[in-house]
Amino acid sequence: MQTHFLFPNRYKRIGALIFFPTIILGLFSLIFNWEPDWLNGKLPGLFTSDIFSNKSTFTMVETNLLNEILGLLTIVGGILFGFSKENEEDEFIRQIRTESLVWAIYVNYGVLAIAMLFFFDFAFLWVMIFNLFTPLLFFIIRFRWSLAQLKNPSYEE
Amino acid sequence: MKNNIKVERAKQNITQAELAIRVEVSRQTINAMEAGKYVPSTVLALKLAKIFKVEVSELFQLEASDWK
Repeated sequence: MQTHFLFPNRYKRIGALIFFPTIILGLFSLIFNWEPDWLNGKLPGLFTSDIFSNKSTFTMVETNLLNEILGLLTIVGGILFGFSKENEEDEFIRQIRTESLVWAIYVNYGVLAIAMLFFFDFAFLWVMIFNLFTPLLFFIIRFRWSLAQLKNPSYEE
Repeated sequence: MKNNIKVERAKQNITQAELAIRVEVSRQTINAMEAGKYVPSTVLALKLAKIFKVEVSELFQLEASDWK
């Protein structure tokens, strides 16, 4: 049989439990610039460039680890939630998943293209930060919405 | 593509849910096929034909719009 590159159904719940709290926490930390001191640490930096364009390679970088932790959790949670098999996985649901993915990429790059024209400097940095995660987010929203439409009684005959 | 899933199902007196279990898809998929909103894979078409004990071509028919 074909490979569908999907995780078993049990990971869907774990993904949701990671993804949604992390997104909320991530937005909170971005908006309020929240970086708890106990998460200050060092990471090995392959390549570092600061705002004064000082570049260095292979150095230990002092950083607050919250960004890294939340970013990684968002990716892992979003992938598990978006790409785990549904309870009643079948070919129709796989088609809806694929269509949702195409839709999400179009919307994501449409939004990015508009933002390129209207946001500049640090404002655009914000756009870029959001854009790291919006492909997954748009896909998940569209996919869940499509599946909900199927179960909507008005869809039935 | 047209199909006679609903007709065959009525002949055999089985519900969408029962048919869904027998061909191992969700009930929504049966509903979408009957409504003409989803064209099944060859495998699923063959399974449906086998359960209804008809030929695939009796269950599914091409329409003019399929040739565009």
